[in-house]
Amino acid sequence: MNFDSRKFVVLTLFVLVGVIYSVRLFYMQIIDESWTLRAQEIAEKRKFITPPRGIVYDRFGQKIVTNKTYYNLMMVEDNIKNLDTNALAKLLGWTPQQVKDRFREIKEGEGSYFNKSTGKRTSNYQSIRPYAFVKELTIDEMTTIAPHLENFPGFYEEITSMRSYPYATAANILGYVTEVNQEEVDADAFYRSGDNIGRTGIERFYEKDLRGRKGVHYIVTSALNNAIEPYANGKYDTIARQGPALKLGVDIELQAYGEKLMQNKRGCIVAIEPKTGEILTMVSAPTFDPNLFVGKRNISINYPKLYKDSSLPLFPRPLQAEYPPGSVFKLLQSLIALQEGAITEETGFPCTKSIIGCHNHPMATDLRKAVQYSCNPYFYYTTRKIIQKGRKKGIYADAEAGLNVWAKYMESFGLGKKFETDITGLRGGLIPNSKYYDKWYGNHRWAFSTIYSISIGQGEVKVTPLHMANIAATIANKGWYITPHFVKSIGGKGPYPEYQKVHKTMVDRAHFIPIIEGMRRVVNEAGGTGSRARMKDIIVCGKTGTVQNPQGEDHSVFIAFAPMDNPKIAIAVYVENAGWGGSWAAPIARLMIEKYLKRKVTDPVKEKTIMDANLMNVKKKADKYTTRGR
Amino acid sequence: MRREESISKIIDWPLFIVFILFLLMGIANVYSAAFDPDHPNIFDFSQKYGKQILWVAFSCFLGFLVMLIDASIYRKFAIPIYIFCLILLVVVLFMPAVNGAHAWLGFGSMGIQPAEFAKIGTSIALGSYLSRLNLNQQNVSTVLVANLLIVVPMALILLQPDAGTFVVFTSFLFVMYREGVTYDPLILKLVNVIPGVKFKSTWVGSHFIPILFVVIFLSLVTLLMSNNVITFSWFPGIVIPGFFGVILSLFLLAVVSYFILRWMSSRRDKNRVTLIVLIGFLLCAGISSTVNFGFQGLAKHQKDRIELFLGLREDPDGEDYNRNRAMAAVGSGGLKGKGYKNASVASVESNHVPESETDFIFCPFAEEWGFIGSFTLIAMFMFMLVRIITIAERQKSRFNRIYAYCCAMILFYHFAINIGMDIGFAPVIGIPLPFFSYGGSSMMSFSIMMFILLRLDSQRNQMLM
Repeated sequence: MNFDSRKFVVLTLFVLVGVIYSVRLFYMQIIDESWTLRAQEIAEKRKFITPPRGIVYDRFGQKIVTNKTYYNLMMVEDNIKNLDTNALAKLLGWTPQQVKDRFREIKEGEGSYFNKSTGKRTSNYQSIRPYAFVKELTIDEMTTIAPHLENFPGFYEEITSMRSYPYATAANILGYVTEVNQEEVDADAFYRSGDNIGRTGIERFYEKDLRGRKGVHYIVTSALNNAIEPYANGKYDTIARQGPALKLGVDIELQAYGEKLMQNKRGCIVAIEPKTGEILTMVSAPTFDPNLFVGKRNISINYPKLYKDSSLPLFPRPLQAEYPPGSVFKLLQSLIALQEGAITEETGFPCTKSIIGCHNHPMATDLRKAVQYSCNPYFYYTTRKIIQKGRKKGIYADAEAGLNVWAKYMESFGLGKKFETDITGLRGGLIPNSKYYDKWYGNHRWAFSTIYSISIGQGEVKVTPLHMANIAATIANKGWYITPHFVKSIGGKGPYPEYQKVHKTMVDRAHFIPIIEGMRRVVNEAGGTGSRARMKDIIVCGKTGTVQNPQGEDHSVFIAFAPMDNPKIAIAVYVENAGWGGSWAAPIARLMIEKYLKRKVTDPVKEKTIMDANLMNVKKKADKYTTRGR
Repeated sequence: MRREESISKIIDWPLFIVFILFLLMGIANVYSAAFDPDHPNIFDFSQKYGKQILWVAFSCFLGFLVMLIDASIYRKFAIPIYIFCLILLVVVLFMPAVNGAHAWLGFGSMGIQPAEFAKIGTSIALGSYLSRLNLNQQNVSTVLVANLLIVVPMALILLQPDAGTFVVFTSFLFVMYREGVTYDPLILKLVNVIPGVKFKSTWVGSHFIPILFVVIFLSLVTLLMSNNVITFSWFPGIVIPGFFGVILSLFLLAVVSYFILRWMSSRRDKNRVTLIVLIGFLLCAGISSTVNFGFQGLAKHQKDRIELFLGLREDPDGEDYNRNRAMAAVGSGGLKGKGYKNASVASVESNHVPESETDFIFCPFAEEWGFIGSFTLIAMFMFMLVRIITIAERQKSRFNRIYAYCCAMILFYHFAINIGMDIGFAPVIGIPLPFFSYGGSSMMSFSIMMFILLRLDSQRNQMLM
């Protein structure tokens, strides 16, 4: 037999393997990048130097967010010799089991990475690499541990920096910092596991500024993790740069004072400088000490506690609590009515309690008085005149057109939408337009008579306290506002330009004069509903509101600005379940205004009464009010 | 002097030049892979590169001697050479173990590995036996004796133990296959026991060896790839599971080889080629699927054991350390590589790839020279292997042809397994890459093997058997 043809089998085998190997090499070396990344992971270590985060100052240059030195207790498993678990546990104040658990936790947590090609967590734990055994030890803790560390070879200390809040206030404004999660690491190449990121508030919004620039040292490392040499002689190394300092418009002392006034109460205070739109104060009560949220250990203990707290300290009321505006809305109805020509300053309406409830007050013979007395039927008529103005034939079509005109006005005041600003977690509130009611009642199935409760700021209308403060600021400015924002300057440069843009309302300047006069009377004249906000030497213009609340007692609301002629502060105060607007909100606003303008308070009795008041447990629903919106 | 001239005229220059190129590339590569900045001189004989140069020089000296000796002595002294090799393999078992294996025969500080030389001895013995005039390939005793010649040194090598060289010895089965000595007679004996069955030959029996190789190779590739997914950085969104990648590759390979084979074959054979490629593809795909789904169906502890053996564990820093580092070194080479002496993963000072100057010598090479370099290397090996087969087929003497086939197959095994384990296609078995890996024994044995081949070829017209 001749077996010569079998040489082709052998040749085919050779060529086949050669081709397969070439294709595989082509794939591995040129197409597939994962091995290049793996090689970098193995050999080219980048040592990142994380700078301390940027410092935050208040409007007067007080440091309100700084950095504090902390220590990590590091360990390298290969250097650990004869570990006395009990002694280490005693030193750390742990149980021996916790020490053992921690070793395991490191291997499963920090000592593993998410392998994208397999979609599984894969161990890359190396016993020659340093891992943080205990993170975020305070200086005090470290001073007790450090002298004993020589008994534990393989353990050593490493300095880190974390946030510190010297004023222990403004937690809802500043936000807090936590470790990044996996999605954030994947989304932004800046972060590596274990890095910190701003989670809420200013820390979150200005994260890209505050985090600064990491320094990178490229080194070639050996299999024993020893640095062999700086990569390319340090040509590509960069220096870490701390993020620029932020200067906020917030007055931290006013903020602290506001939080003190609001202690044992639910509610909020928002104060704005009308000319700049800078937020002076934003109190959310109850609140918490931001230092509780420094470091992983503190957060893991305190976050669940605060989260479960029934008084909702984590709920950012000024931004997210959408209340009906109540009687404060009457100011806007008046302005729109004047602009639309629906009424004049001198128009009077009878106080017809059969249509809509009211309290007893002298007859509102003109607009100023109507504001002063907060007469519900007056504004019922006024709003009806705006909406049913006869723009279209037929009551329904007319209401549709009228409501949409009205909604446009409201939106020009910034209502019904989120401010585009440096505040995270904002809500937009609600200004209903025709589409909204069409959905509820059907097209041309509703008219003003259906929706009249919006005229006194009840019903479907919803605004946040921040909107309310902005209404006060807009009236103080007589028709324009700058979007409320926190940051005054970033690293010496001004705020982002969008926070300097003037927004004009659709109401002419002249129409604000009678409204402001009305607001002056609310506080300063007999029969005004906000007399508790009165001061001898400063003319405060305000408006009370009482927000009905199906869950319990009405919320007490007051907005104001002062001084009347040259407004420096516009303020909105909410006290939940505290009754009518003049009762609690007005005196709080008064104290805040005085504190801000004079830096001291001249009415210690009022101050003490308010600070001592505990309104936390007033939840019981009172007898139904016959009067609304005082 | 007349004789030397005649040698220089009839020596096979293409093979000789590739061989010399390999020796030079090998030295340059060891110089990079074992570089010590304190001893930058390549001729520093305290260093591995200096020693490697000594080994190469000594091998060339031995080769020169081989070229002087008349080629007929190998056939004449085939049995003594073979028995001498076996004696060395027995003696080495009584030597102290180095790294857990009794593989080294020490002469003072120097040592050789008899297993490396046993490959040459066995090649000569096999050639001598299979080239007898009255050899009947269909005889059961022929099959048994030929197998015995291989199995005895294999058994001794397994006792050392040296799994790598053990596996390499199966390459002789291909040589037997080429010569028509297959397991067919044994299979016929079994099959023809059944009443009414009277086969003269079975297809499976005749082609048992290459089929087995393809089955094993394909199974390994399937197993190693089935845990992977293939993605393309330049075309995100496409994710191919490893198993389908294997099937897809097989299909593309079938299509390409179909057109090449049709183009090469005569008109008469065209239909046959179509059938062979189709059946081949279906069989390969079948084997691959069987292995893949069979593996998925295994119990967990069985799976674990196989994965452990193949180094498949999801454990880049533990069980799978060597392979993972090796593949990272090769894969990070890119198109042009990181430059000579610039490897970062497989460099000696970083030491991420263990044994980067011996078993994993391909890693620094592929990392430093990239795809251009590694493809060139593969192409050169292909050229060498095909050239040896060409030489083998032009021999008039069957002994010469068998010996040449032995050389080709041994080189092929070393090449396929050594590079295969660096690219994730073969389990991690420690065997050297011919002419590249640092080490005296393998350098000498491969060089002598090549020189004997060149010498035999130079005298091909003088020997008729």
